[in-house]
Amino acid sequence: MASNAAAPFWRAAGMTYITYSNICANLVRNCLKEPYKTEALSREKVHFAVTKFVDGNPQKPIVRSDSGTA
Amino acid sequence: MAMAAALRREGRRFASPLISSQPITHVRSSLIPGEHVPLGARSISTQIVRNRMKSVKNIQKITKAMKMVAASKLRLIQTRAENSRGLWQPFTALLGDTPSVDVKKNVIVTISSDKGLCGGINSTAVKVSRAINRLTSGPDKETKYVILGEKAKVQLIRDSKKSITICMTELQRNPLNYTQVSVLADDILKNVEYDALRIVFNKFQSVVSFIPTMATVLSPEVVERETESEGKLGDLDSYEIEGGETKGEILQNLSEFQFSCVLFNAVMENACSEQGARMSAMDSSSRNAGDMLDRLTLTYNRTRQASITTELTEIISGAAALES
Amino acid sequence: MLRQTSRLLARSIATTQQPIRLMGARPMSTNMPATPVEDSTFAASWKKVAPLIDPPKTPSAFMKPRPSTPSTIPSKITVNFVLPYASQLTSKEVDMVIIPATTGQMGVLPGHVPTIAELKPGVLSVHEGNDVKKYFLSSGFVFVHANSVADIVVVEAVPVDRIDQNLVQKGLADFTQKLSSATTELEKAEAQIGIDVHSALNSALAG
Repeated sequence: MASNAAAPFWRAAGMTYITYSNICANLVRNCLKEPYKTEALSREKVHFAVTKFVDGNPQKPIVRSDSGTA
Repeated sequence: MAMAAALRREGRRFASPLISSQPITHVRSSLIPGEHVPLGARSISTQIVRNRMKSVKNIQKITKAMKMVAASKLRLIQTRAENSRGLWQPFTALLGDTPSVDVKKNVIVTISSDKGLCGGINSTAVKVSRAINRLTSGPDKETKYVILGEKAKVQLIRDSKKSITICMTELQRNPLNYTQVSVLADDILKNVEYDALRIVFNKFQSVVSFIPTMATVLSPEVVERETESEGKLGDLDSYEIEGGETKGEILQNLSEFQFSCVLFNAVMENACSEQGARMSAMDSSSRNAGDMLDRLTLTYNRTRQASITTELTEIISGAAALES
Repeated sequence: MLRQTSRLLARSIATTQQPIRLMGARPMSTNMPATPVEDSTFAASWKKVAPLIDPPKTPSAFMKPRPSTPSTIPSKITVNFVLPYASQLTSKEVDMVIIPATTGQMGVLPGHVPTIAELKPGVLSVHEGNDVKKYFLSSGFVFVHANSVADIVVVEAVPVDRIDQNLVQKGLADFTQKLSSATTELEKAEAQIGIDVHSALNSALAG
């Protein structure tokens, strides 16, 4: 991004649009009435393992679990 | 009990000649000393076949159960995959479909399953990915792989070890959802440099048909280039852009959002295909087990009948000998 | 319940419209430039590198056909409103939609100029005769095409009446406090997003 000054505050803080929109969505879900709230929150669970490769060798896998949505 | 076990052991050792319908009396006389013939000795051969039948029946039970599990998982995931189909269409309508776009840095996102026993969908995805790799490679071009799922990893690690940048597994621990896939998409975007992302997956058509598909997501810079130079996205210029300070900024947001939406649908479709493929694979293997069981039953009955006939012959000839 | 009915309604409309649209415009839409040409170059280059495998399909093969740009402005605007887990409205014809663009509330009527708009947390209202449906959107994009079709793609949308007022107030207070105590850029941004979303929710409930 050439025009950093014009960028929205969240990108300036190092977030991507995906992170930003996930935080927004999660906040909205948190403000729902029951039973919608539990339903919406239980639907969106994060779990996966990431293995980075350096020069063709797999590194130790890192597990991402419900950390993406602050 | 011990006798039975011993017999079974004995039986297994001679399994092959017995099944191949040799005369039973001959086998018996040559292998077991005459006076020690236990009561059930004649049915040794049937015992083996019976064991075999039992094991085939068990296998059939397992494959049937796996089929049922796959079927119920498929039902759940199919509705959600169908619901997610609306998600990518607006992006294709706006940004078009650009499989033949020519850029320097290509990233192939291959989607596969973590578990096997699901027919050929993973090999198809890998084959298509390799072909795309050949298609996009060239002088001063760079193609990298991002792999989702264990099965494509084990196949691609063999020949394209160096091109793999990142690999993600254990996606289906929880039911698949957008938040998960978007966090994953975010991780991919942070770790690769790209001009075009090629997402390879199996689109679910029906339980027996899965269509290998490639979706292309362009980087904001390439989108801008294509709109300006009378390229493939000429129409984008006619759109007014609301929000954001610059066009580049909004295109960046748009492209990130597009990637996570397209990837989400791709992951859903592939998961759906996986369950469908597993269901039909398990269906055919339980059918095969059924066929084998039929054949074994036939052999079993035949051998039993043969032994009865032999016994009868022996009795009758014995009686005839006494009479004379 | 509301969501269910709207989906059912949308589906029934979609099915009744199908034959007409299929008869109408096969050449896809105006905003998909020369798809067949592109496909043939792709297919040709594919043949060179992998003659044994069929080229993979691309998304345009699965696109629902879209109407071409009519010469006169239609009386209704066709809305596709999609979420990752559901399609709230599918090719539904309505009178007007008001969308929360980052630049302010934007009313979209039939014949609107083609627009790409980024959304901020806020209320989307769908006007259909005297009937107005209100959804709260978290974030996403809206594309208005020249053929009076509006695509609304959103990460999360909920009917306004499902929002809990107390939780909104609590969240707003929490994040206001967090913003004052935040030290890093990231924390500040997160708190700022929190305040933005909650005040938008608050004004949605008030309005």
